[in-house]
Amino acid sequence: MKYLPLVWAAVMRKPVRAILTLLSVMLAFTLFGLTIGMNATFAKLKEEARDDRIFAGARFGGMLPVGMARQIESIHGVAMVAHSNNLFGYIKDPKNRVFLQMNDEKVPQVNPEWPITAEQWKMVRDDRRSVLVSQRQANRYHFKVGDTFTVITPPIQKKTDGSNNWEFKVAAITPDISYMTAGYMFGNYDYFDKGRMLVDQGKTGIFRVKVNDPGRNAEIAEEIDSKFANSATPLQSITEKAAFDVSNTGMDIAAVDREVALAGMFMVLFLTANGIAQAVRERIAEFATLKTIGFSDRGVIGLVFAEAAVPCLLGAAMGVGLAFVLTKLLPSLIPPGDGVPIPVMTPMVLVWATLCAAIVAFASSALPALRLKRMDIATALSGR
Amino acid sequence: MLRQIFIVSAINFKSLGSRFWQSMVIVVGLAATVGVMLSMLSVSAGMRDAYVKAGDPGRAIVVSKGSDQEGTSVITRAMAPLIIDAPGIAKDKDGKALADRGIQMGIPVLRKDGSKGFTTMRGLADKGPGVRPELHIVQGRMFQPGKRELIVGVGANTLFQHMNVGDKVILPDGQWPIVGIYATGDLLEGQVLGDTETLAAALHRTAYNTVLVRLASPSSLEAFKKALTTNPALSVTVERHSDWYKRVGNQNTFTLALLGYIVGAVMAIGALFGCLNTMYAAVSTRGREIATLRALGYGAFPVALSVIIEAVLLSVTGALIGAAIAWVMNDGAQGVFGNTVFHLSVSPAQIKLGVSWAIVVALLGGLAPSIAAARRPIIDALRAT
Repeated sequence: MKYLPLVWAAVMRKPVRAILTLLSVMLAFTLFGLTIGMNATFAKLKEEARDDRIFAGARFGGMLPVGMARQIESIHGVAMVAHSNNLFGYIKDPKNRVFLQMNDEKVPQVNPEWPITAEQWKMVRDDRRSVLVSQRQANRYHFKVGDTFTVITPPIQKKTDGSNNWEFKVAAITPDISYMTAGYMFGNYDYFDKGRMLVDQGKTGIFRVKVNDPGRNAEIAEEIDSKFANSATPLQSITEKAAFDVSNTGMDIAAVDREVALAGMFMVLFLTANGIAQAVRERIAEFATLKTIGFSDRGVIGLVFAEAAVPCLLGAAMGVGLAFVLTKLLPSLIPPGDGVPIPVMTPMVLVWATLCAAIVAFASSALPALRLKRMDIATALSGR
Repeated sequence: MLRQIFIVSAINFKSLGSRFWQSMVIVVGLAATVGVMLSMLSVSAGMRDAYVKAGDPGRAIVVSKGSDQEGTSVITRAMAPLIIDAPGIAKDKDGKALADRGIQMGIPVLRKDGSKGFTTMRGLADKGPGVRPELHIVQGRMFQPGKRELIVGVGANTLFQHMNVGDKVILPDGQWPIVGIYATGDLLEGQVLGDTETLAAALHRTAYNTVLVRLASPSSLEAFKKALTTNPALSVTVERHSDWYKRVGNQNTFTLALLGYIVGAVMAIGALFGCLNTMYAAVSTRGREIATLRALGYGAFPVALSVIIEAVLLSVTGALIGAAIAWVMNDGAQGVFGNTVFHLSVSPAQIKLGVSWAIVVALLGGLAPSIAAARRPIIDALRAT
């Protein structure tokens, strides 16, 4: 501790250089925070996904008869089958693309973890035009409870009367759900179903299956598919765990994130290694003095390491901090509905950042330390 | 003046050897920045390319009014003949309009890495090949109209399991053999094609999604559009095929590209601070040389400019190294993201972009140190150790 002023004096010897180095390191760690934080989000999504649920959708597109729910329920091990159908469209301007997830009455039981109270669900059931709007969506459209709005749908979701305008009322504004990045709007399936053209009535988009035994989840997903393989509407089922796995996009985004973070670290390594090497070169006589007055090799090397570690660790902390601030701004930058996950700064991100900062500090001070260990005090003192 | 700039810059470069590692901070910083940015952009640009290439300015697409995706458009069987009889469509040698009634849907695929995904299956009607002359069979043969046969794109063939000639695709009314593999050089290569009417029957589709027509000439779009939009029996949107795909492509790759630019910007700012640092150090270690030159009568401007020139050359070197790495690693590689199969692309335009970012970083990073170098009192600099 008592050497802290010494280290600080060394770091701030050239304030401009110190600050520039710090800023550079900070930005590399901002990137590190964003990318590794993104991976943390992916991991969290997968972990939070329930292993007792399956999504079953149409294998070849199109809609599914609601009656299939009964048949799925008859499969051994299935506890409950809910369903929902999305209503696509826009509010006022085609740029404001929205979709409303129109739920049947069983969705609250299949997804009990959603932050929606029984009372709020009841509102949607009782007044069929009602929708539950997540905080994020409410902010975007400046909705207040009681507001009414119109969603204009494409021709395939036309109403019985031929119009494309669907009226809704904001029943409640509810907390966001982490994996619905853009927020959500939940409406009443019956309102949608009775409102649309006769040929489409009684059909739905996706079945939300809950099973009794999580161990049999994947097996039941297969069973559902094979049960309907020869029907008019074959199904394609996927467990919630698999659906929330990022590798589902076909690209190993987690690996891309790690590579980006690594490139940033490489950049920082070069920068700090150079800075510290230069600092040691310039102050070689001072280090010789320290050795002369009794500092051990280890002591001097410790000082050099500390001098390298200060900008690294400080930069890492500031960088992850900045990344945290950016994640708060990100949702407003990205167009709604794209569903890009927002990075989270979990403790693990901070641990990794600290670890990387320490490695960079260690690696960059290794050569100068070696030089100090081997130096000849007399030569160094004479400044030759 | 020019001579002075040249001489000062030359002196700088001769001393680069002694400042090698320090200069490498700029080179590595920009190489990392540009390498990462172009690698990320290679995905969005490759995807966008696949869309843009699929759009031919000699074609027009007809969708139901207000639809911005093929999947949400409905063209009924009653509407199709009205569209096909409209003026402005090219005719084949039998005098038939080159208009293709298309349907499309997602079909599940198993990627080679074992993950499950979807790709697009399209129906091509009888005039399909005439409307899409870029489509050619590279293995096997074309599907026969009326038969339950499919052909798959080269991209789908490489990236998905069970997509070879002779394999079977399970559809609602049985197994459909794959009889050929086709190439188009665009988005369609990741997809699966069959005969529109046969597929529609199998999938219980009562309507088409789109009608794609070959225009008599690129300029006949207006006549065609006017004929359709003034027909009270139709409620459709007509768009030049290239404009359609440009819009859809931009829409689908916007976020991906934005992420690339955000990452690139963060790294570039980091590299900028590194550049500032290096150039300040370079100026301070050469303080005495600069002062000597000034004492000999060299102007402040050549001295300042030489610092910026050095920063620019180092940055551009770094950017080119980064671009080269990104190009070698990514360009041409087959990628799949969601439903889209494409080739990653690092194009000259992107490399130019990377280099211009590097120049901006160098100008910003070299400016302050160069002013510092030029304004330093000569006497002080000469006396400094």
